[in-house]
Amino acid sequence: MLLALIILLPFIGVLLPVWFHRHGRTACAWATALPPALGLVLLFSQAPAVLAGEVRRFSLNWIPELGLNLAFRLDGLSFLFCLLILAIGLLVILYGRYYLSSDDPMGKFFALLLLFMGAMLGVVTANNLLLLVLFWEATSLSSFLLISYWNGRSDARRGARMALTVTGAGGLAMLAGVLLLGHVVGSFDLDVVLASGELIREHAWYPVILVLILLGIFTKSAQFPFHFWLPHAMSAPTPVSSYLHSATMVKAGVFLLARLYPALSGTELWFILVSMVGLITMTLGAVTALFKHDLKGLLAYSTISHLGLVTLLFGLDTRLAVVAALFHIMNHATFKASLFMAVGIVDHETGTRDMRLLSGLRKYMPMTAMLGLIAAGAMAGVPLLNGFLSTEMFLGEAVAQRVLGGWSWVIPVVAVFAKVFSVAYSIRFIHSVFYGPSQPEALPKPPHEAPFFMRAPILILVGLCLLVGIVPNLIIGPLLAAAATTTLASPLPYYSLAIWHGWNLPLLMSMVAMVLGTVAYLNFARLLRLWERLPAVNAMDAFENFVHDVVIVRARQVTGRLENGSLQHYLSLLILGTVVVAASGLWGLERLNGGVPLSALDPPSVAIALIMMVTAIYSAIWHHERIAALMFLSVVGLGMALIFARFSAPDLALTQLSVEIVTIVLLMLILFLLPPRSPNDSTYAHVVRDGLVATSAGIGVGVLAYTVLTRPQQTISDYFIQNSVTGGGGTNVVNVILVDFRGFDTFGEITVMAIAAIGIFGLLDGMRLFDPKKDPNVQWASDKYPLLLLILNMPVLPLALMVAVYIFLRGHNMPGGGFIAGLIVAIALILQYLANGLRWSNNRMQWDYHPLVGAGVLLAGLTGLGSWSFGAPFLTSAHDHFHIPLLGEIELATAMLFDIGVFLAVVGATLLILANLGKLKSLDTASEENR
Amino acid sequence: METLMAYAIGVLFGCAVYMMLRRSIVKLVIGLIILSNAANLLIFAVSGMTRGAPPLIPEGLQLPEGAVADPLPQALVLTAIVIAFGVLAFSVVLIHRAFEVVETDDLDQMKDTDT
Amino acid sequence: MLRFAVIVAMLLFTVSLLLNLYRMVRGPDLVDRILTLDSLYVNAIAIIILLGIFLGSTLFFEAAMLIAMMGFVGTVAVCKYVLRGNIIE
Repeated sequence: MLLALIILLPFIGVLLPVWFHRHGRTACAWATALPPALGLVLLFSQAPAVLAGEVRRFSLNWIPELGLNLAFRLDGLSFLFCLLILAIGLLVILYGRYYLSSDDPMGKFFALLLLFMGAMLGVVTANNLLLLVLFWEATSLSSFLLISYWNGRSDARRGARMALTVTGAGGLAMLAGVLLLGHVVGSFDLDVVLASGELIREHAWYPVILVLILLGIFTKSAQFPFHFWLPHAMSAPTPVSSYLHSATMVKAGVFLLARLYPALSGTELWFILVSMVGLITMTLGAVTALFKHDLKGLLAYSTISHLGLVTLLFGLDTRLAVVAALFHIMNHATFKASLFMAVGIVDHETGTRDMRLLSGLRKYMPMTAMLGLIAAGAMAGVPLLNGFLSTEMFLGEAVAQRVLGGWSWVIPVVAVFAKVFSVAYSIRFIHSVFYGPSQPEALPKPPHEAPFFMRAPILILVGLCLLVGIVPNLIIGPLLAAAATTTLASPLPYYSLAIWHGWNLPLLMSMVAMVLGTVAYLNFARLLRLWERLPAVNAMDAFENFVHDVVIVRARQVTGRLENGSLQHYLSLLILGTVVVAASGLWGLERLNGGVPLSALDPPSVAIALIMMVTAIYSAIWHHERIAALMFLSVVGLGMALIFARFSAPDLALTQLSVEIVTIVLLMLILFLLPPRSPNDSTYAHVVRDGLVATSAGIGVGVLAYTVLTRPQQTISDYFIQNSVTGGGGTNVVNVILVDFRGFDTFGEITVMAIAAIGIFGLLDGMRLFDPKKDPNVQWASDKYPLLLLILNMPVLPLALMVAVYIFLRGHNMPGGGFIAGLIVAIALILQYLANGLRWSNNRMQWDYHPLVGAGVLLAGLTGLGSWSFGAPFLTSAHDHFHIPLLGEIELATAMLFDIGVFLAVVGATLLILANLGKLKSLDTASEENR
Repeated sequence: METLMAYAIGVLFGCAVYMMLRRSIVKLVIGLIILSNAANLLIFAVSGMTRGAPPLIPEGLQLPEGAVADPLPQALVLTAIVIAFGVLAFSVVLIHRAFEVVETDDLDQMKDTDT
Repeated sequence: MLRFAVIVAMLLFTVSLLLNLYRMVRGPDLVDRILTLDSLYVNAIAIIILLGIFLGSTLFFEAAMLIAMMGFVGTVAVCKYVLRGNIIE
């Protein structure tokens, strides 16, 4: 629990700076420092147990089905990193308080910093691989926000984007690797994974898993060839560079190397991949760093180089290399963070970071110069400083390893080469900034010493460099041992942390590097000329060109081709795609006929089917005369109704007939609104192309129907049939399904109807009208309301209403129900509009249809909610028998109420649609008549 | 009968697709109508083509006598018919509105979103 | 006997349906098609009723009644469109 609190604290603490922001900058910094300080206290309370080799665990189920649990562990390795994150975090907060100017939104900065801190703590303590990936992504995201903190600057935004793209892409690769790993092991639990090293290494997928996870690691830790994002991330505020891009986040990659060391390491592939990438990165970083004129650029490449060194150590085949790697992680964090802070001070107090401008600052900021000198000494590996110890260990292991077989001597040689440059750039860093002639007039701001509290974090870190360098065992001996034990998952090899090991090869190599490094710096001008002759590659431009090419140019080409704005094009693709998918499924069948005996043909059915086919084809061919095409359509609809009647679906026949009539009225209304001329029809080529698409679709669906029809099938309807009377209180199973078993679906469907009606109402609002009456070529009849229709209409309304009531009431037990009754009423009312005209009908039907629709949906919904008051689930129906005088025994079900809701919604929606279409243009005609 | 029905469904689908690929908006609407008919027929037909046995339970009984047609696809198709009408109405009005704004019923000229 | 009569009647109406189809396809005029549609509705009533008699079931009669009562509305709408262009005025 305590463990979870350590991780949780920064996340909760995010609110503190946001809140204290208004109480001044010091208060804000104090409030921000609270969570990490508390976390540090909690962490130290765990120290004795953890350093003794215990592993503290905390686990909470989150989504156990996915194997994702909120599981945390605190072992030596996690402890080491937690300490780095919390302690350096605290110092960075103190430093940031003085670094940020009063214009910068401090609350946002500290909130993001805490967010990052929490995510980072999550990464190092996660005991579940998925959880680890989750926090991993969170660090990428918060890093993105921190790099782009000065979001008004384009270099900040671009740098942030690049960092996010690279680390995010790596994170995705890692997720894939982790998922495969979890699949192989059968669990995402880190305890299980770490114990299954044998299993993983012998699995056929091991190379894939390793490469994917290494991609995540190398992008995060800025290893070659993904190192290019880190220098550009330096557009972040210096506290961020110091914290994220040297001490913590970029260490997440090497942390994972250490974390998964027991599970993934030990194979040839691991040694070659990790050591080679590390070696290249280390050398490349060191060489490039020397020639950077920007102080932060120098430190960024130096960081890349040191990260490469750590990676290389993890790739060496000696067990002691791991100890050296962990040791160097700690040392690098301390000296690099302090160097970044020193650069921040220089930048802050002089206004520039360009080494060609800076010179002789020792006179103006002696304290900073002193601290920078010591830290740079540590970076170069000068004795009595911590960097010396880990560098010695590194060189020792470089000599001892046998990764490359007969070529193993390459590694120590290259290591010394890189070391030479490392020494050279450390000297350049100090010499060009703090020594030499002072020329303050060349600087944007007159230089002066920074406030004490801004130097204090550097002082502490540099003090640590010294202490560790002089009495290593006392300070970090136990911690290193605990971390290394966790990583190696076995007792530690013998090693000694001491300044003096006697005259040996590593010491000799160190001395050679020191001498050669100094020589290199003395010849810096010559080297620089050589360097400048190399073709300059701007990583940012190259990256952005690449992204631009892939994302903008190529993607636009693909999109332009696929998405050309033509509906027909989309439809053809969609239909052909579906046909291909369906066809590939049908292909696998041995034969299309599934063996179920076919039923006999009977003349009426054959005639009906024939009529439907012929009229459908004709409606497609005759489409140049719209009204004729619509007549054919009506015949198809009638044929549907007859098919429904023939094959035992009376409810469907009734519904289809009613809808058919409503549809005709609708289409006649709409035809009036659309222009009478069609655009020129498509070319012959189009007809052929579309004909082919249509034919393939038709054949596809036909074959599908045939294969399904001739196969035995299982229905899920038995339940409905068995429970219709007992459960639903009705003998018409279709209606009982509609209003009871699947009532929720029906509720949704009447809602859709209502939405469609309201939508139409909205669309028709303020519509301009096309009036075909202006066409002088058409002779229109003069009789508006034919007498025959008027007379015929009179008896139909009461008759239809009576039939509707009858159909509605018997709906639960016999064919009928709310849908059909609603449609009948709607047709009867529409007929009034047709026969008597709008004015006459409106005078007699003075209600609005919106409330009707609303009432219908509301009633259906309330009926459903009513069942809640009886403790039953939504839309549970109840029914009972009642004795009503004169009517006799009658069965009433709450489903009846629901059906009334359906009825109202259907009537309202249908009339809303049709009457509004009619109403609109009549207003127009009316205004015309008034003229 | 099943073979014939498969033919009918295929023809209906083919006609619907052909109409939907035309340039005129009115043809698109006709295609939509045929398509909804075709889809309903498909769902209805593949549930088995039972003759003379509607899914009704005789008065006074708890279960139907003998096999009856599958009620579930019927219920689905019933709502589908009504919904198809709603969708049809909405689409024609939408199309009309579009016609009014861009002043063409030629789909090829409706490609731009800006007009 | 009744059964035989029903079957013969159904066959005859089936023939009539096909004749309707012929007229629908041939036209030649729009008015012919409108009339055909109406007569198709009438034939459909007959087919449904005969089917009901054949099966000994009254379940389908409502469908027939619906066509009888409402079928003409579609015809009216089409006629009105042809005559006046505007069907609700």
